[in-house]
Amino acid sequence: MISCSRNPAAFAFSMPDKAILISNVDRTFHFRSTRMTTVARSRGAATGIRCCSGKKGREDSVPRNYYELLGVSTDSTTQQIKDAYRSLQKKHHPDIAGQKGHDYTLMLNQAYRTLMREESRSRYDTACGRRSEWSGSNFSGLGYSSWSGPLRSQALFVDEHRCIGCRECVHHASETFAMDEAVGSARVKVQFGDHAKNIEVSVDSCPVNCIHWVDAEELPLLEFLSRPQPKKAYGVFGGGWERPADVFAAAKSLKKQLKEQEEKKHNRNHKGDAEIEPETPAQTKARYHASMKLQFQELLQVFGRLGEFFVAEESKEK
Amino acid sequence: MPLWVPVRSQVAPAACLSPSPEAPRALSLFSSSSVFPLPNSQCLVWRTDLLVISSFRMAEQPYMVASDSETTGDDKSQSAFHDLAIGIEVGTSKCSIAVWNGAQVELLRNTRKQKAMRSYVMFKDDTSTGEVPSGGASNKTAYEEKEILSGSAIFNMKRLIGRADTDPIVHASKNLPFVVQTLDIGVKPFIAALVNNVWRSTTPEEVLAIFLVELKTMAEVQLKRPIRNVVLTIPVSFNRFQQIRVERACTMAGLHVLRLMPEPTAVALLYAQQQQQQQQSLHGSMGSGCEKVALIFNMGAGYCDVATTATAGGVSQIKAMQGCTLGGEDILKNVLYHLLPNFDSLYSNRDMNKIRSMGLLRIAAQDAIHRLSTQSSVQINVDLGDGTKMQRVLHQSEFEEVNRNVFEICEKLIKLCLADSKLAAEDINDVILVGGCSRIPKIRSLVLGLCKKEKEYEGMDALEAAVTGAALEGAVASGITDPSGSLDMLTIQATPLSLGIRVHGGGFVPIIQRNTAIPARKSMIFTTTQDGQTEALIVVYEGEGKMVEENHLMGYFKVTAIPLAPKGTAEISVCMDIDAANTLRVFAGAMMLGTDRANSPFFEVRMPTLDDAHGWCAQALVKTHGSALDLTTIPKELQPQKVQ
Repeated sequence: MISCSRNPAAFAFSMPDKAILISNVDRTFHFRSTRMTTVARSRGAATGIRCCSGKKGREDSVPRNYYELLGVSTDSTTQQIKDAYRSLQKKHHPDIAGQKGHDYTLMLNQAYRTLMREESRSRYDTACGRRSEWSGSNFSGLGYSSWSGPLRSQALFVDEHRCIGCRECVHHASETFAMDEAVGSARVKVQFGDHAKNIEVSVDSCPVNCIHWVDAEELPLLEFLSRPQPKKAYGVFGGGWERPADVFAAAKSLKKQLKEQEEKKHNRNHKGDAEIEPETPAQTKARYHASMKLQFQELLQVFGRLGEFFVAEESKEK
Repeated sequence: MPLWVPVRSQVAPAACLSPSPEAPRALSLFSSSSVFPLPNSQCLVWRTDLLVISSFRMAEQPYMVASDSETTGDDKSQSAFHDLAIGIEVGTSKCSIAVWNGAQVELLRNTRKQKAMRSYVMFKDDTSTGEVPSGGASNKTAYEEKEILSGSAIFNMKRLIGRADTDPIVHASKNLPFVVQTLDIGVKPFIAALVNNVWRSTTPEEVLAIFLVELKTMAEVQLKRPIRNVVLTIPVSFNRFQQIRVERACTMAGLHVLRLMPEPTAVALLYAQQQQQQQQSLHGSMGSGCEKVALIFNMGAGYCDVATTATAGGVSQIKAMQGCTLGGEDILKNVLYHLLPNFDSLYSNRDMNKIRSMGLLRIAAQDAIHRLSTQSSVQINVDLGDGTKMQRVLHQSEFEEVNRNVFEICEKLIKLCLADSKLAAEDINDVILVGGCSRIPKIRSLVLGLCKKEKEYEGMDALEAAVTGAALEGAVASGITDPSGSLDMLTIQATPLSLGIRVHGGGFVPIIQRNTAIPARKSMIFTTTQDGQTEALIVVYEGEGKMVEENHLMGYFKVTAIPLAPKGTAEISVCMDIDAANTLRVFAGAMMLGTDRANSPFFEVRMPTLDDAHGWCAQALVKTHGSALDLTTIPKELQPQKVQ
């Protein structure tokens, strides 16, 4: 969605004196001049810029973000963005599409400029909350299952996507496994809740071999991913819930992503230090004076207190 | 339509297709009745295919030339092409016309079979037709260079158009054979040609218009259809004011400017087409192809332009452009002063013999420069007519030494352009050298050296590339498609200069930065500098200087109805919009306090509004209003951010 802190009010570029009003489709002023038409609306709440034809139907089809506008995925490379931009320009540029392409091309140019620079792209991504970041941000780092007894290096995990809901495991180790009736699959309730032997039987009894021994470290990530996650909705499209088909691969990639994010953050902090503009001589001087003042203030305070103390002592002596 | 059909049927053949001497007559006859608003039609039609020289304000009025093929009906066969725009390159010294003929771009030749025609207008006394100016494009009697330099002809109009008399270029033009007078007050210079031993005044626009009428007539005769739309190439360094003047000259000549294209971008379009065809023939597919980056260096007689373009799949994106007023004329001038150090003092009194000998010297020097492109030294033998003879040898090293400043500026331009486009020499795939001056060996080696290339791009005619690109753009923008896909392309233009407004203290705040892809729209919020300020002056400038004095004034208007508030709290939104035809609109108004809504209707102004590039308009504004109507910027964090 667009978030615009402030926006100029709705306006229309036109040449009213030279233009003849030919229609006011949908209460939108639509001017046509002899040479060119530029009807535009800057509405921060929607897109800032809207197609000039002013049809209401168009409003819904306005792309929600720059990626959608360019028809590329959020993780596309700059080359893909470039290609998409060029092919769209070829369709919509006013040289080809006529004046009606003006506003669309404006959006394309804006999107292109934002996404082509790494810095502005990442800022844009954060501003509109890209998926890769929310999926990571929802992850708390804790698993859902509880532990019975001491922590061990291995843990049980049910691949819920593959589970057929046969209840065999629940039957053999009812303290460890539980059935999630809503989803229709079994999951681990308490790690090592039953006797080791019972657990072994239940693992073996699974007809689809969907109960795995995994590293305890990976357990939280896997459990997080095997729960259906809300999918981002685009109006009528999208929405609902989803979970990865191959939870192990997903866990691997998410782990990598989280690591990268961490690194990026780390780098950014480091870069942030390096990117600080060099001080001007005047600034250096000001900083020097300020620090001197601070130091002296401390000293003066100490002196002041000492002075007070001595005065007090003296008066006491008297 | 019946309103204007009878009128046109009488006039149009005479005005459009007659040899040019009649055209200027027709204009005075019909200029008053040249506007025909059509009943129940969707647009206003201005009859401008007659040469109309009157003082209308071109800046605000869109013109469209009436279609002549609707009634004549004899060019039905060409109906697809009846409004196809032709490409015209009016150079400082030569000019050419090209048109898309359905399969490729074809350059038109004049009656003397020339593709590149000398651009000048001869104001020669001709007893049979009266004093009728005639251009150098199509006249049967070819004037010799000697006659052109006799003072009766005006040339170099591209260097003079749209410049004030304080401009150094105008001052440098004073050594030309015709009269260029300056008063240094920032108004249009006085130029005059010698007719009947009298200096007769004219203006650069008028000269250009007369010349364009000739070109138009020539093209109409050859293409057997009326010409309305043109794509004209201009130098990169032309500011909007100069562009308006060129457009005005076109309107005078009855031409509608579809696009004004900076010359290197026209070359870039041609390059895009060539690359696309090459890739298609290699891979046989219409894929997006690999990206190629080219540096285009264009140096003609009057201007020097550099641009970088990234091309893939027939789309050429202009990355950056740089241009300056530097060209063959400057090189020629340097050589003239080198040959004759007291050149200025010799010709200051403008006596006829002196003008003649100056002409002879110019011809000799020009010839020597041309020959120096292939020879290491040339012999100059010229009889100046007044008893003095010049005999000497000019060496290439001498020539390069004399023009060192020219080469230095070229080098600077290329470096700036590369820096602007964030490219290193290694990123450049091709170096394209076009324009007459690109033949000078020193310039070739300089450009290639800076781009670390052994060879320049081949397959482009240095003198025809720009006009060919303009004709391609004309075909693309006219909506012509080609089954073979050779018109399936596009140039994404960029703004060569930043556009912004004046703020408190005389600073210039750019709203649209240079090298922004066109179409572009940007808005910024400004605030008041006085408590309770209800009006603010929006003064629009174009240029790169930090202070407004260094930039070109485009126009000004007042934003009213600012809500009463202490200084720094009211918000004034200023939005600039450039469309594909490079028209600039400034849109401004005050916002209601603390909201995103307009306080009252906004103002929309098409720029430039100024009739002349009067720097003193700005001075007068400051003198009259002081800082009472000033605006200032607000911190970046508070600027509207279009984040979707």
